[in-house]
Amino acid sequence: MQLDDIIYNPLLRGILGLCLMGAIFLGAMGAVWFERKLAGDIQQRLGPARAGPYGLLQLVADAIKLFTKEDIIPKNADRLLFISAPILMMGSVFLMLVAIPFGAIIIDGVTYPIAATDMDISILYIEAVSAISVIGIFMAAYSSNNKFSLLGAFRNFARMIGYEVPLGICIVSVAIMAGSLNIIEIAQAQSPLWFIIKQPLGFIVFFIAIMADMGRLPFDQNESEEELIAGWITEYTGMRFGLGFFAEYIHLILGSMLIVLLFLGGWNLPAALTANTILGIILPTAFYLGKVILVILTIIMIRWAVPRYRIDQVVDLSWKRLLPLALLNLGWVIALGLLGV
Amino acid sequence: MVIKNIITAVKNIYFGPTVTRMCPEEATKLSDRFRGLQKLDKDKCIGCGICANTCPNNAIKIIRARINPDSDKQRWFPAIDVGHCMFCGLCIDQCPKDALSSTKVYLTGIIRWNHEDLLFTPDMLAREVDINAEDEAGEEVSRWTPQ
Amino acid sequence: MEETVGPSEMIVHLGPQHPMLPGPFRVNAKLRGETIVDSEVEIGYIHKGIEKILENKTYLQGITIVDRICYLEALTNEEAYVGCVEKLAGIEVPERAQYIRVIMEELSRIQSHILGMGEYASFIGFVSMFMYTIRDREDLMSVIDSVTGARITHSFLRFGGVKDDLPDGFKDDVKYVFGNLKKAIDQYEVLFSSDSIYKARTVGIGTLTADVAKDLGVSGPPLRATGVAFDIRRDEPYLVYNDLDFKVCTQKDGDVYARIQVRLDEMRESMYIVEQCLDQIPSGPLFPEGTAYGKRSPVMRIPAGEVFHRVEAPRGEMGFYMISDGSDKPYRVKIRGPVYPTLQALPPLLKGVTVADIVAIAGSMDTCTSEVDR
Repeated sequence: MQLDDIIYNPLLRGILGLCLMGAIFLGAMGAVWFERKLAGDIQQRLGPARAGPYGLLQLVADAIKLFTKEDIIPKNADRLLFISAPILMMGSVFLMLVAIPFGAIIIDGVTYPIAATDMDISILYIEAVSAISVIGIFMAAYSSNNKFSLLGAFRNFARMIGYEVPLGICIVSVAIMAGSLNIIEIAQAQSPLWFIIKQPLGFIVFFIAIMADMGRLPFDQNESEEELIAGWITEYTGMRFGLGFFAEYIHLILGSMLIVLLFLGGWNLPAALTANTILGIILPTAFYLGKVILVILTIIMIRWAVPRYRIDQVVDLSWKRLLPLALLNLGWVIALGLLGV
Repeated sequence: MVIKNIITAVKNIYFGPTVTRMCPEEATKLSDRFRGLQKLDKDKCIGCGICANTCPNNAIKIIRARINPDSDKQRWFPAIDVGHCMFCGLCIDQCPKDALSSTKVYLTGIIRWNHEDLLFTPDMLAREVDINAEDEAGEEVSRWTPQ
Repeated sequence: MEETVGPSEMIVHLGPQHPMLPGPFRVNAKLRGETIVDSEVEIGYIHKGIEKILENKTYLQGITIVDRICYLEALTNEEAYVGCVEKLAGIEVPERAQYIRVIMEELSRIQSHILGMGEYASFIGFVSMFMYTIRDREDLMSVIDSVTGARITHSFLRFGGVKDDLPDGFKDDVKYVFGNLKKAIDQYEVLFSSDSIYKARTVGIGTLTADVAKDLGVSGPPLRATGVAFDIRRDEPYLVYNDLDFKVCTQKDGDVYARIQVRLDEMRESMYIVEQCLDQIPSGPLFPEGTAYGKRSPVMRIPAGEVFHRVEAPRGEMGFYMISDGSDKPYRVKIRGPVYPTLQALPPLLKGVTVADIVAIAGSMDTCTSEVDR
């Protein structure tokens, strides 16, 4: 059997997808542990320290707690919408998962990315599917029969509508520079030079826009604790809350992967390092995951170091500041393309 | 704009020491004048009742108790309801014979499940009966030490 | 506030149970979208009846009760109460005891302001700043602990003096702590003034004008942030404030940024006052000589009369009005707290702001609901 037959076999691809789903759950638990430990370090205290060595089993304890809680649905809540909203959030995240590569294996100079599918328009698909979570949040908030959740949902809409536009424009400018909408080809087009060097303004706009897309501080008004108690997730208990909570962290991991793939070079290494077969299997994936962890670290640190904007300031930021910068970046990329760089 | 905050956060990760105190394992540093459970000196107490009058919560009652474990003679001594005591120290200050004094027991001897077990008799206050304070917190007494 | 709603309005109760309200009070707000059209504030959820309790306790027992009105300003509350009794009974406090009282009250003011600033930062989502301030406050609490024996409910003052003298080595401790604290306060000021998100949340929000503040009886840092230089330590000095040199910190704008800035400046002034006191403190007795007043206080039978004594608490002007009828318990004690009028100033300030600013504005007034309700 050829290598190609093994790789493009649908059954094996399906099993790979399921393995990736399990891996991403473990990754989300690791991300939560990492966040709590990092928050402790910034604030000069220990984070979780008692459950297991260095608090590594803290998330297992939290998961057990969430499973054994009583399942409460408010009396006047819309049952169908209430139950299906976290499922929709998880579904949108898993649909994103399908198209994002988790690493690559380079054998004899040919790259085989570890992804569940290989679509031609994958970057467009990823952005479209990540917007389904907005509907999930609104369903959760609307069906909770709670005024605070409703306020959170309104803010969420305002924020998402404002930030999808600069995000889309940045993705289009990256696609223009790489010449394709396939995310694997975009990652491979960064062989000598990463895109962050060619369009630094695009990187800044994309970073801010994707932090707002994920709902991290300073943009987490829809779940701010000071006035909205917990925003859209106020009435959820037990594992329903766990699903929404984990969906947010999986979105964090996938967003960081997007940043690394689009701007920070993906898994590209100089060809000399991947000549050896064994190094070719391990190194690109390790390099790629290392960069992803660094980006996650930066995003978590920004969350714990700055205060939070008000919602009208957030909308103001996106329409009046980020949109012109994104258009400027698009013009810059077109100019570079015309000049033949 | 927000760069200074982020730089401070990064500095704290690497250069800031952790200041958490692992509470049950490490004993808390108490000051010299810390007010804990009272200790009764039965030889000095005259049973006047000034401490019972002074207590803002009426937590002290004067009852008859033996003057020491070997004799049958009884005198009036204070019994303190530790559940209602707020450790203000007024009874210790007002005693005319300095029979009551303050120790550093605040945790080990006085955690009970029922309120009836918190009614400390004069024998317990004089430490003739063991109240489970194996090590009265106090070896770590310091005036104030920089953390 | 009327309970009828217009076409696109809704009434939200930011109720007494809330994860991040500064104390259990309730704000009923009528919202149109996200902006507040009308609001009202309801208090009384933790009324404990302290004034009635004080009628049934003797004067000495009352010191421990007064401690617990608001635990962050315990020493200034005790000073107001003990000052009333001393005025009625004609007791004169010796100088060393007066200096010790001033030192402890200024230390208490510093720790209350640090906590107020940190709490405000946590209300706008800046949790790390809250943790920094709590960590810096710990050393100060240890120093206060080494003098009075407790961190919050001190019961330190007695009629005619203070309970215990300053311990040995107090001056070195204070010098060490102040060294760290000055660096920390400078760092807070830099962090606050260079952060554009913080400025966007505080400049121009919740502006209180001087006329409204004077009409409502607001006092303390919210009043001084509007430009009125009124400080009881300067205008009606009690204890030894006449001999000390300090300035009254004011700002001109009256918004949230100005209030936080006033608290930062006041912390520095308090540190300066403590250093002066430690230089000038005379040696001497702690209680007036030849009288029965001492650490073992006599039964206080005060001659009949009424008196009002006020002090500058960290949150404003705290006053006690005491009527005594010649027995060993007071006939009536009325407490005038500093936060009650400040909370009354909230509804006109909240018109036209978004929901996110309710907690920010209420937090910047440094409300301590336990003292509003008593």
